[in-house]
Amino acid sequence: MASILKVDTLTGVTTAGSISVTGEGNSTTTNLQQGLAKNWSQFNGSGTVSIRASFNQSSLTDSGTGSYRVNYTNSMSGTAFATPSAATARDNGSTYALSMNGDYYTPKTTGYSHFLFLGRSGNLGDSFADTADYDMATFGDLA
Amino acid sequence: MASELRVNTLKDAAGNNSVGMSTVAEGSCKTWVAATLAAVIYDSFNISSNTDEGTGDYKYGISNALSRSSAETHVSGISLGYTNIIRVKTAEASTSMIDIQSMNTSASATDGHHSVGVHGDLA
Repeated sequence: MASILKVDTLTGVTTAGSISVTGEGNSTTTNLQQGLAKNWSQFNGSGTVSIRASFNQSSLTDSGTGSYRVNYTNSMSGTAFATPSAATARDNGSTYALSMNGDYYTPKTTGYSHFLFLGRSGNLGDSFADTADYDMATFGDLA
Repeated sequence: MASELRVNTLKDAAGNNSVGMSTVAEGSCKTWVAATLAAVIYDSFNISSNTDEGTGDYKYGISNALSRSSAETHVSGISLGYTNIIRVKTAEASTSMIDIQSMNTSASATDGHHSVGVHGDLA
């Protein structure tokens, strides 16, 4: 019989911030909190930058050509966090990529409130470049 | 005491924002890691080992294995540096290993602080 659980908040019994979810193979488990994306964003990085769709993002800052700051609503923890990210450009076949900005490592001891990207056009060598379509996601621990 | 709840769908108390447990399981990132240019781990999830294999080459073991090789599932990554990108390698990739390389725009391996995440199914 199908079942539905209606609840506003899920909390672990042994550890409040840790709930196991059985994986697809029906044997091993994964961790609900650790596996969740803490932020994702799809934004326009060309011209006047704008967020098309996002989660846990308060704003987007244009900090120069090819440079963007994704500002979180709820900060990440002070220790480093993983940020699996992908950038795609649907822009006449040009190739683009995103790299981390060095400022990523500056505020490591307090809650981390933003992530800095550098957009670069492969067709233009090592030049920084704006493009219209960026996608990114943040994993790791919330503060 | 540990407890187990078996349910097909989660909704908020108002009955909105429905999500199936299959989406929760399939949509979760199964492993991620953030590490230095020498593969020293800052933070990770479901990672068992870390290896610096040379300039730009990194390898990470997965604690609970995937159902397919990491080279055949969704891997995304980013590297610190003005021109760095992450390439997914197949050489040593497996259900329990992530094999990546940090490269620059000249397609040369280069060290860089990096992070990667893997989606897909657990074994």
